[in-house]
Amino acid sequence: MKNWKKNVLKWLPMLIWVLVIAVIWEIGASVVDVTKRTPENVLPHLYQIVQAAFSSKPVGSGMTASQLVLSSAGKTLSRAAIGFLIGTISGFIMALIMKLSKIAEKIIFPYLMIIQMIPILGMAPIILSITGDINTSRVVIAAILTFYPVATGTLAGFNAIEREKYDLMYSYAANKLSIYTKVLIPYSIPYFFTGLKIAAPMAITASILVDTLQGDGGLGTLLSQSLKHAMSIYVFWLIVVFGAFVGIFSSKLMGILEWLFTPHKRFRKTGRKETQHDTQTKKREECFSKSS
Amino acid sequence: MTGIMVKDEREIEIRIKNLGMTFKDNQGNDVEALTGVNLDIYKGEFISLLGPSGCGKTTLLRMVADLLEPTAGSVHIGDRLPREVRLDQKLGIVFQSPVLFDWRTVKKNVELPLEVMKFGKAKRSQISDSMLEMVGLTKFADHYPNQLSGGMQQRVNIARALAVRPELLLMDEPFSSLDEFTKEKLHEDLLQIWKKTNKTVIFVTHNIQEAVFLSDRVCVLSPHPGRLSGIVDVDLPRPRELKVKETAKFNELVSKVRNTFDGGSL
Repeated sequence: MKNWKKNVLKWLPMLIWVLVIAVIWEIGASVVDVTKRTPENVLPHLYQIVQAAFSSKPVGSGMTASQLVLSSAGKTLSRAAIGFLIGTISGFIMALIMKLSKIAEKIIFPYLMIIQMIPILGMAPIILSITGDINTSRVVIAAILTFYPVATGTLAGFNAIEREKYDLMYSYAANKLSIYTKVLIPYSIPYFFTGLKIAAPMAITASILVDTLQGDGGLGTLLSQSLKHAMSIYVFWLIVVFGAFVGIFSSKLMGILEWLFTPHKRFRKTGRKETQHDTQTKKREECFSKSS
Repeated sequence: MTGIMVKDEREIEIRIKNLGMTFKDNQGNDVEALTGVNLDIYKGEFISLLGPSGCGKTTLLRMVADLLEPTAGSVHIGDRLPREVRLDQKLGIVFQSPVLFDWRTVKKNVELPLEVMKFGKAKRSQISDSMLEMVGLTKFADHYPNQLSGGMQQRVNIARALAVRPELLLMDEPFSSLDEFTKEKLHEDLLQIWKKTNKTVIFVTHNIQEAVFLSDRVCVLSPHPGRLSGIVDVDLPRPRELKVKETAKFNELVSKVRNTFDGGSL
């Protein structure tokens, strides 16, 4: 009984959130319905989007809207995933290098900041003209966007370790390798995952954006075709909804991975006072909300 | 040496000679954290370093632990320097905060120093089991630190320090963040563990009652500059129980310690 109540309380805010969005959307759609000439271009009703998703009418290349979106999504998302993976690995290695050498940190960190500040819209065409290939560009852009949150997040984790942990390892006469494998890396894992949770939806967005540069397939291409009325407008709305879900899902997936990799965080003693660990978690979240 | 004074026939384990530590502050001025400390510590002795903050008691402990390099004088453990003892992995340190590793279970936390020392898996497990039994945490071996109370976490900390079979157990205000009841329980337990293991213990504290209850001798340190202002022998019988705190002798010793302290400009 108590558990049931707890679950409702846990999911209630989320449910209300979704409902409120749906209601506002529908109010908007109803207004648009009577004021605009082509309401489906501005804001269609939700049921129309659902209808389009399950309609068996082919809209292009002999495929239904859903088939079209899913087949393009494969192209875009697989490149986003590869880029994400590359960005994750290189971001983590970069954080290690910056931790190992103060000079490396001083040299590299400003570049990280600059890369982060260039809008993807500006960077994408340059990358495309350098690589000359849309697929490579998707991977590169996704990797660049993943790289920054992972590198800075992991580095923040490395730098958040209390002095006593080092003192303790020093008193065991531990070598550098032990200190890295037994203290620094395991300690930074939650920070690393915070970076991943931010990076995953960004990698997907970036990959869709790169698609629009060239009419060579992918969600972005489909998106612009649909907007230019070369195809049913509902394809556009389907991509918007699909993209939002995939973005949220990608971040949640990182959360699930984190859950798997950090068994100690599953246990919470009820009714206990806030511990050092909680304050660290809070600090970490604050540090990220500032940087992004 | 030992034959000269009849009273001290015990073996001296640590010799501290004219030890001093001078820091530079933010403005570049010299600050004397500790000066002119002479102290011999006997093998198997429980000795406290007592004083207010800023008296250099932790500095003194850190110099014995080779976490700080003295700027004057010397420390010898047996005939070796603290650095050699540390490199030989014979130091057990217990800090004020438990310094446990969140992602490791209680048992794995105790095994951490043994992993660093490249002990085999079976040997590690055997040692950690016996250490956890000694501190009464066998049932919690597979728990994570954030599932334990502060007192239990500090027990794990002690078990981990003893796992390396150290020559010395150095404790830096280990119980100061615990509540009074937990603290008293741990005092009794610590004395039992000490009796079982026969380790030399250096115990840093700012609590007079705690120092008197636990120690063979209480070294009273005073600030500005940090220095050793006196040593009080605690000749209360052992084994000690909490009841000893209600005796006149105990209170007499507490006031003796208090009078040894030289507050100066405090």
